[in-house]
Amino acid sequence: MRAYIAARLGTAVLVVLGVSVVSFVLTFLTGDPAEIMLPPGATAAQIAKFRTEWGFADPLPVQYWRFLRRAVHGDFGVSLQHGQSSLPLIAARLPATFQLTMTAMVLAIVLAVPLGVLAATHRGGKIDLLTMGVALFGQSVPNFWLAIMMILLFAVSWGWLPTSGRGGWTHVVMPAAAIAINLMALLTRLVRTTMIEVLSEDFVRTGRSKGLREVAVVLRHALPNALIPLVTVVGLQFGYILGGAVVIETIFTWPGVGLFTIQAIMNRDYPVVQASVFILATAVVLINLAVDLLYVWLDPRIRVT
Amino acid sequence: MLNIRRIALCMLGLLPAAIALTEPTFAAPTGEVKIGLAAEPNTFDPHLTVGRNTQIFIVNVYDGLTARDAQGHVVPALAESWKRLNPTTWQFALRKGVKFHNGDDFNAECVKFTLDRATHPETKATIGSELSTIAGTEIVDPFTVNVITKTPDFLLPVRLGELFGLMLSPKHTSAMGKEAIATKPNGTGPFKLVTWAKNEQMVLEANESYWRGAPKVKKIIVRPILDDAARIAALQAGEVDLIAPVPHARIAELKRNDKLVIKTIPAPRIFHVTIDVRKPPFDNVKVRQALNYAADVNAILKSLYFGYGTRLATVVDKGALGYDPSVQPYPFDPKKAKALLAEAGFPNGFETEFDSFTGSIADHSKPAEAIVGYLQKVGVKAKQNVFEFAAFGPRRVQNRTAPLFIYSIGDAYLEPSWVIRWMTQGGLGMHYKNPKLDEMLTRIEATDDPKKRAPLYGDVQKLIKEEAPFIFLYQADAVFGMSSRIDYTPRPDETQWLYPLGLKG
Repeated sequence: MRAYIAARLGTAVLVVLGVSVVSFVLTFLTGDPAEIMLPPGATAAQIAKFRTEWGFADPLPVQYWRFLRRAVHGDFGVSLQHGQSSLPLIAARLPATFQLTMTAMVLAIVLAVPLGVLAATHRGGKIDLLTMGVALFGQSVPNFWLAIMMILLFAVSWGWLPTSGRGGWTHVVMPAAAIAINLMALLTRLVRTTMIEVLSEDFVRTGRSKGLREVAVVLRHALPNALIPLVTVVGLQFGYILGGAVVIETIFTWPGVGLFTIQAIMNRDYPVVQASVFILATAVVLINLAVDLLYVWLDPRIRVT
Repeated sequence: MLNIRRIALCMLGLLPAAIALTEPTFAAPTGEVKIGLAAEPNTFDPHLTVGRNTQIFIVNVYDGLTARDAQGHVVPALAESWKRLNPTTWQFALRKGVKFHNGDDFNAECVKFTLDRATHPETKATIGSELSTIAGTEIVDPFTVNVITKTPDFLLPVRLGELFGLMLSPKHTSAMGKEAIATKPNGTGPFKLVTWAKNEQMVLEANESYWRGAPKVKKIIVRPILDDAARIAALQAGEVDLIAPVPHARIAELKRNDKLVIKTIPAPRIFHVTIDVRKPPFDNVKVRQALNYAADVNAILKSLYFGYGTRLATVVDKGALGYDPSVQPYPFDPKKAKALLAEAGFPNGFETEFDSFTGSIADHSKPAEAIVGYLQKVGVKAKQNVFEFAAFGPRRVQNRTAPLFIYSIGDAYLEPSWVIRWMTQGGLGMHYKNPKLDEMLTRIEATDDPKKRAPLYGDVQKLIKEEAPFIFLYQADAVFGMSSRIDYTPRPDETQWLYPLGLKG
């Protein structure tokens, strides 16, 4: 088990390093921030002087070496926009993103499991049809469109929820729902399929034949078995959730890492982009690692290998 | 008798009230206004600001030596008066009795400290290019300073105004350190920054001892709301009282809402197409004029900006000093364009390239597409290249732009000479040179009085129109949405000056 974890951690480090190299090269290729940072009246000579002073005129390997030397000390450089060290700036925005993504995940799971179970137990019936209709809508609706529609309906027309920003619990409802919708749909279908499979297994028939109530059969015996694949999928979807959060945070001006990163990309604030890619990649890798371990714990059959 | 005595007594009783009425009284600031902006400042360190969004906002906390009034005229601020002692020395007489938010006194030492800091290489000031003419600052007495420039700089009083001359307190700045000043500013301006959580909200509070008199509103909350639709929704839902900007496409719909007020003002961003006059056939003035006749700029304004823009005859914007309305724009006349091309020896047109880009502060690719379409109709077969803005930058710096490229420049100084000098610098893809124009501008720049300078720009505009080194386009309107409970008038130079902002009723 220990060797397994060590190997997974080793791969995680390589993945994070690889991601940072790719993001560094990509940002280098898209040009430098000189013209965005200087006032519009700057002349060609002034732009050139600025690039030299800030080190943007150096060749790629020189810039990468400088980046790497600092990065191993956890220093991604000072933000060009904010004049502050970039890693703490990103770290300060993690709780907001964590709150949003976790709420979205919980929301998706809490809705998907009962819907999936209902659909499976009423297979072919009206409830199944309705649930699958909801799932189809959820999977095909673009979340940014849904976000704007929710704002118009719940905030502007009815005034129930605030339009944007972060504050009390009412602020998190719409952005979390907008992120959750795709995952909810995916999980509903997944739970339905696995439940149908599990419900046709021998132990379920045994349970029924020894006179257990249907509710007990479904909830106590079938459901826990059906939920194991759910854990894997939720873990794998975490990266997508973060990606969705980038869009949704921007629409709702939710002050998280996603919004901050988008602004940094727009402003070519490279130290912040680098720090944020590093942190997001680490988060995705760690969550995946956690899911793998959780899976081992949930399903004893894997432990043997 | 009794009555007279009673009346006299009554009048005596009213006397204090009458005295009170004759004294000037400033109403104490009251109430709260919430604002939703597409972008918030990157910093409150005036020397490290990035982009107009910061420069047009942090002025609410600071003051410059000069300022602008509601019409855009340069007026005294921390300097009560200024004059040029010799071609390279400007003297500023400073206002007495002004205090920073923390109680520090404003004086000549502050001016020297601020300008020394701004021009010191270690500061790595992002605004350095705009203050590059400054050679040094001398304190004459506690309320008089001389600013010496390397070359004559007629624009110095404007530079040292709200644009790039926001004054710092030496004590506070040194004590705070470079990182802290970004979020803990100490200015002399109408509002104090109370708290600022980036990407969440900023709270400003009225500076009740402001030297112009206290502002009208006591508390201002500024929220960044990046998404256009969400920002408009926040205004419609009554969460905020003022938003900027509003997309042109939404103006008509919002104007129908009687709880909202929409105000527009021409923003000083001058859209134009630069023509590489060095490369044939563009060295021929007839070809350049033909391009100007070919494009239906009014139609572009109508379809892309819903009519909220101003057609420009040259590269002088409507709010700029000396804008001459008698210089009329080229009319849309494709027949004339074709005739001019034929006269120049291109009856069947020619092939060329046209650079455009996306991802900058304003949309440049759609107008470019429209112009390319118009050019093709008169036989100028232009191939449109679309770049990402950051990738287009190096193309300009290295002078590798196509013979035609679209661009826009924000005339922050509202001064045509500043714009034209920049556009004729011989770099960044702009290669038009004209000794006659140079001479005219030099004469204008030696004229310190704006009132005398303004009429001199008339001939400049006529010359530029005739020479047509650009396809002259337009300036788009800046659009503000507000609730009917507030009173706010946008300024022509884009500055989000909140001092006169008030609540109605």
